[in-house]
Amino acid sequence: MENAIQIKGLRKEYKGFTLRDVSFSMPQGYIMGLVGPNGAGKTTIIKLIMNLVRRNAGEITVFGKDNLKDEAEVKSRIGFVHETPSFYDDAPLKDIKAAVANFYKKWDERLFLALIDEFGLPLDKKFKKLSHGMKMKFSIALALSHDADLLILDEPTSGLDPVFRRELLERLSALMQDERKSILFSTHITSDLERTADYITFIHDGEIVFSLPKDDIKETWGIVKGSRTLLEDQYRKLFKGARETSVGVEALTSDIQEARRTFDSDVIIERASIEEIMVLMDKGEHYA
Amino acid sequence: MRSLILKDLILNKKFLLWTGLLYFIYVAVFGSRIDNPRITTVFITFLCFIMPVMVFTREEKLKGTVLVCSLPATRKQIILARYVLGWLLMLGSFVLATIGILAVPGSKLGPEDLLNARIIMFALGLMALYFAILMPLLIRFGMVGFLVFLISLQVLGFITLALVSQSALKLNIRSSIAAVKNAFIFLSSNLGTPAYYALLIVVMVALNLASFACSVSIFKRKDF
Repeated sequence: MENAIQIKGLRKEYKGFTLRDVSFSMPQGYIMGLVGPNGAGKTTIIKLIMNLVRRNAGEITVFGKDNLKDEAEVKSRIGFVHETPSFYDDAPLKDIKAAVANFYKKWDERLFLALIDEFGLPLDKKFKKLSHGMKMKFSIALALSHDADLLILDEPTSGLDPVFRRELLERLSALMQDERKSILFSTHITSDLERTADYITFIHDGEIVFSLPKDDIKETWGIVKGSRTLLEDQYRKLFKGARETSVGVEALTSDIQEARRTFDSDVIIERASIEEIMVLMDKGEHYA
Repeated sequence: MRSLILKDLILNKKFLLWTGLLYFIYVAVFGSRIDNPRITTVFITFLCFIMPVMVFTREEKLKGTVLVCSLPATRKQIILARYVLGWLLMLGSFVLATIGILAVPGSKLGPEDLLNARIIMFALGLMALYFAILMPLLIRFGMVGFLVFLISLQVLGFITLALVSQSALKLNIRSSIAAVKNAFIFLSSNLGTPAYYALLIVVMVALNLASFACSVSIFKRKDF
């Protein structure tokens, strides 16, 4: 099946931060979570896909089309939600909708009105008068109303109450009934990923750590808990990161089978959750 | 491009209506007090050219640029729409301002003063010049670019005044202005009126095309 997104050798340099050699692909018909700590480069990758920032190197294709050469065509198939939704602050929602709807051939007015009703959004109200959560809901309503084949959502659940967050995730999962649809969303709320994502791309300090099916991560990544001997040089190649705790050491491995073969019953080996991977990669001592 | 222009009209409709109305009254009343058609033209063209500037800087002020750049349109199309809308707004404002000036009771100018080919070409030339210079600055620096443009104009005015007061340079400036004027007269008399106006239009279009190419290049480099 065609990839919804394919990224090769992507690089973006900012003063004090560089996104380095980012490559991953996202098959059509799946949900991919882009996860990583704040400042890791998640939003930069999304902005590069949307051509909101200029890349220094690399290439991005969306449904096989170059995102720069075929920019308008690519964007017409994307529903985009920005991490801090900003439209014309002074305009009422109905005007913003009218302005945006003109751009999409597949705009579904009935669906939009149903979403507005469901989300409890007042169309006559000015955008700047909405709370962050309401702005996010409006942005999501716009993104869902033009039958986009790919949804790109940057921190869509931030600022939302838990009830709506759950509803949104269920709605996103329901969208996947249509096998043409794909979703890329960034978050650092790892429970959202555990609930919905098929693939997880983990980014840390501007580099991709892994981009794998969620089930593969569950199968292969683990936490090894034991004494400080785990930090000895002979074991380090097994670990991606480690941290000392009050009772010993917790080390992160991407090869749980090899860890089981290497260590005897002196250590405890558990499957790693996305959150544990994130914490150990972010706060722990890093290894290769 | 149609969607981009419609987007600006929809999102700025109240602003265009109310600010445009007040602006129209202001231009009409003040324009009607001036008895020199050329000075009136300089005055109204400058004010008409500010109209699209206000619309475009509103997008930046109201944080709408990210929305625009995430819509299905290329950056080149976005800039093209701005140039087209800018010209539509300038020309629309100019027509309304001219009608307003002539309609104000006791206006010092009559239709024969403003509605002639020479004055209209003069107005178009000024608007083309202002617009071509300002748009790249506006796209690169936003409202700050506009202020830089205004300050540069004022500084240029001060420098010119200072130079004019120097007797040694007085002649040179006068002769320079006369030389430019003579060049236009020479072209006009040698080419004949239709060809002369055609040439002026070609120059205006070329100037705006160069400005457009420059603006696209700047806008493509911008990060949001």
